[in-house]
Amino acid sequence: MTDAAPAAPRPLIDSNDSRRPHGLLLVAIPVFLVAWLVIWPIINAIFRTLWRPDETGAIGFNLDSYVFFFSDQYSINNLTITLWTTLMCAILLLVICLPISLYLRFSAGRLPAYVQAMAIFPMFVPSIILAYAFIRVLGPNGMVDIILNSVGLPKIRTPYLTPWGPVIGLVWDNIPLTVLILLSGLGNVANQAIEAARDVGANRFQVFWHIILPRISNSVLVAISFAVLGIFSSFTLPYLLGPASPEMMGPFMNRTFREVNDPLNAITQAVITFCFCIAFGLFYVRSVARNQGK
Amino acid sequence: MKRRDFMISAAGVVAGSALLPRMSFAAEGVIDWYTSSDSNILDFWTNTVKPAFEAANPGVSINLVDAGDGAGIIAIGERAMAAKQQGADPQADFFESGDALLPAGAIEAGIYTNIKEAGLSNYDKINPLAIESDYSLPYRGSQVLLAYDSTKLSAADAPKNWDDLVAWIKANPGQFVYNRPDKGGSGGNFVRRAIHQANGLDPSAFTVDNYTEEFGNEALTKTWDILADLAPSLYDNGAYSSGNTQSIQLLAQGVVTMTPVWSDQVLQAIDQGVLPADTGLVQLQDLALAGGFTRSIVIENGVNRDASLKLADFILSEEIQSAILTELGGFPGVSWDYVSPELRERFADIVPTTIPTFPGGAWDGAINDGWYRNVAPNVDRNS
Repeated sequence: MTDAAPAAPRPLIDSNDSRRPHGLLLVAIPVFLVAWLVIWPIINAIFRTLWRPDETGAIGFNLDSYVFFFSDQYSINNLTITLWTTLMCAILLLVICLPISLYLRFSAGRLPAYVQAMAIFPMFVPSIILAYAFIRVLGPNGMVDIILNSVGLPKIRTPYLTPWGPVIGLVWDNIPLTVLILLSGLGNVANQAIEAARDVGANRFQVFWHIILPRISNSVLVAISFAVLGIFSSFTLPYLLGPASPEMMGPFMNRTFREVNDPLNAITQAVITFCFCIAFGLFYVRSVARNQGK
Repeated sequence: MKRRDFMISAAGVVAGSALLPRMSFAAEGVIDWYTSSDSNILDFWTNTVKPAFEAANPGVSINLVDAGDGAGIIAIGERAMAAKQQGADPQADFFESGDALLPAGAIEAGIYTNIKEAGLSNYDKINPLAIESDYSLPYRGSQVLLAYDSTKLSAADAPKNWDDLVAWIKANPGQFVYNRPDKGGSGGNFVRRAIHQANGLDPSAFTVDNYTEEFGNEALTKTWDILADLAPSLYDNGAYSSGNTQSIQLLAQGVVTMTPVWSDQVLQAIDQGVLPADTGLVQLQDLALAGGFTRSIVIENGVNRDASLKLADFILSEEIQSAILTELGGFPGVSWDYVSPELRERFADIVPTTIPTFPGGAWDGAINDGWYRNVAPNVDRNS
């Protein structure tokens, strides 16, 4: 996924010879799979929630399940907490990952290699293990509490089973991808440009604001839309670390479908979730398209 | 950049190999066995039932597969129905835990064996109260108990009826937690006990097909009042753990003093040292917390139908039924008359004469939806 972020350079030889159907054949399989396993179920879900029998049994255009969702305070609360969690995660990810990436880009030696390894590490930890480790460390009477207690400090207010639980877990889980994308964006910043700015007396903040940020704004957008897409529909961490209510859309959909045996409302929730995700996805598509247009 | 490339390609290889189709065919003499139960049940089969059965039946072995949850078992049942239509091999012989009514139409399609008429030598020993269908075999039961930290609460002070329990929870705010009713039976059956409490302590008032919206609203609204009244006194002013294991974890970390638990899981947790040996267990005496029986199913069109029936007969034998008590901490599926006298004596105290049960069906959806809407949102949580 990460190498999709920066636009691949156009091939040096771009003659008509390379536009034979081989290329189309190579992409045919993934395109077919996406159409079959992603696009078709989406169309199917939209159709099934909009075109169905009403109370009298007459099949027709029917918005009831959407009206119910948006008039039901419980559903609205779940959607709100999902948006809140996503926003918090996006802000925290930027605040945490931008300094790490800047550090990794502009320093040399062995220490940055270790820092990078640390930053990539969460990629290899399954989220279920992360969730239980979180409970052992940040949970009530967990490791942090034990350490604080041993030096005579009061216990922390544990984020376990509160809305902050999933936020902390999801941020940790998404650090690697965000750092990698930002790092590849920072690769586009030429050292000469920074040196030139310094020569005319720019301080560190001015270099960051006027030289680096404009060059990487695209990567920031891509990194955030990737993280947001994953977080919005996340399941495991909100399920294990979050409160019973309000719940994020992932656990909410799953519960409505399996536990409440209500496929219609579950699909409606899925379509609504998908609409939010497609809005975030358009950011990504737009920035890639803009990049390729250059 | 090389580090990154390596990691990306390594991740790709791992992801790719996980997606490769697994080719498997059912083999004669290998019983394809599926469960939806927790891992302690899988351990019990791996360590106790499988070796004993294979020793008693040379040439037959059991392939133990975890189907995940109830929905996983239903999916395999649907596969068996599809295989039956096409005359193909369902690649499944035995469900450790299943509902004969699911997937809908399975009995009519003829994929489940009629166990009553299959001629099992031990069939008559089954506890008649546990039989739900001729197509499923209740072989073990489990009850929900209250487990408590005996360093903070003495056995003499442990609540023994619902009113005492409510009084204790309110007198000790933050010391009780139960898990969300859909995320594990210990919290689920605590909620069902509250339903019994709100409706005259009569389990027979609820049956699998007597759910109507009107009766449901009436019975459940009273229950939500009881539970919402308890909420501010629960752990963290009304937080609910997300599973049976997490409740036990909170008890083990000394965060709460008492929580509802499955009898088999808590005995195993004590056995493994997750909970201390002096963890107290108590059952409410006015009406026990609801429990239930686990029912096995034999697949009629499976390659190893006959061997599976032998297995079904085997798990009703005194050897396995005693092991369910001693090693699993569960209840026998057979009547108590068929359990050895010394075991009957030893477990007399914690074993109630009946395990109240609560029906599934439409009640499940109503309880799971209603609890989340009426009990879980706790507006005063941060006050």
